[in-house]
Amino acid sequence: MLNASYPDAADLGLTHCEVCTLVLQAPPGGVKWRCPRCGHPLQARKPHSVQRTLAWLMTAVALYLPANVLPVMTTESVLGRDSHTIVGGIIELWTTGSRELAIIVFIASIAVPLLKIAALALLAFTAQRRSRWRQRERAALYRLVETVGHWSMLDVFVVVLLVGMVQFGVLASVEPEPGLMAFGAVVVATMLASASFDPRLIWPRPDEPRVAHG
Amino acid sequence: MSAPPLARRAPVVVPDSDYIVCEECDAVYRARPLASDAVLRCRRCGATLARGHALPLDGQLALTLGALAVFLIGSLSPIVTLELKGNHSQATLLEATRLTWESGAHVVAVLSLLTAFVFPLLVIVLRLWVMVPLVLRRPVPLLAPAMRSLNWVLRWSMVEVFMLGVLIAVVRSAGVTHVVFGAGIFAYMALTVLLTAIYAAGLQGLWTEAARRC
Repeated sequence: MLNASYPDAADLGLTHCEVCTLVLQAPPGGVKWRCPRCGHPLQARKPHSVQRTLAWLMTAVALYLPANVLPVMTTESVLGRDSHTIVGGIIELWTTGSRELAIIVFIASIAVPLLKIAALALLAFTAQRRSRWRQRERAALYRLVETVGHWSMLDVFVVVLLVGMVQFGVLASVEPEPGLMAFGAVVVATMLASASFDPRLIWPRPDEPRVAHG
Repeated sequence: MSAPPLARRAPVVVPDSDYIVCEECDAVYRARPLASDAVLRCRRCGATLARGHALPLDGQLALTLGALAVFLIGSLSPIVTLELKGNHSQATLLEATRLTWESGAHVVAVLSLLTAFVFPLLVIVLRLWVMVPLVLRRPVPLLAPAMRSLNWVLRWSMVEVFMLGVLIAVVRSAGVTHVVFGAGIFAYMALTVLLTAIYAAGLQGLWTEAARRC
């Protein structure tokens, strides 16, 4: 029932603008048309979607290790100097009593980036093979990745705010560290990866050209 | 569902009211009038096709003006004041990003300035740019570029994540200092609620109103 065939836009000679969703009669091929309403180029699929998704994913994977191993901030006080990693910050929250917040930060900073990388790799791989495996679930997975994606920025904001808030000179201060830049870059790279992925590739047409290997 | 055969001509706008094409899987549906609180979902992939808004356009404009007011309060007034041994330290969002920049973390400073300040401001300003003329039933200058920018900037605006970041930063610094909440944090809470109510409308309604009113 779920995989019953639905008429899609190309069957009816229609196309639609991916920015403003205006529905149009499909223009003849060979020429690059722009949407008459918003001016965005009309295209049946996002260009080089799988390759661009994989490229951003590889960037994210490469930065993932420094983001989690390097310290993201240093606290300085009369008691001494301390470096904190992402995981260290979560443990600190857990042991100082706010376990609910520790769980939220764990989900946003550790679980979500890993989930996004794994999910987008699966989506890109199955799209490239024009797979019809669990299409509805893959569509839901794509929407989940799009929805939760930006929450990983949480720890970047936390450090920036601590740097701004804790300004007591020699008594106490907070400085950002290079790990934070790697962490922010992982978040941006995974967001760009999911923005590059075209969910319409989950539903290949019988005449869908096979995606070139990334 | 059957549709009349369509001639393959240069892009001709098929009236919006005839068809809806699913953005995520290209399935085609006949459009039908949408109740103000209804959500249409794609039967094939589950994506949201269209969504009504509980408020008419002038109500949405009021929400957006409210959002602009709390945004200005939130970003210009201190979010929290910390106290340590008689010393006070106040933090605003702009001050926090400036201090992060001065600590050498330029990329992180720019990233948080854009996602927590510039992009949310653009979301509000671009919406006002489009909505004010529409409510006055005047043509919207630069409608297409404004709407395309709005579409892009929505993805990168992260007010709700920043809001949660404030809470976590407060908890993490509460161990060493005494924390007093400033006007900024309450303004940001109100902004998070208002922006969620405004986002719920999507952009499709603005395109429809623009086509109808001018």
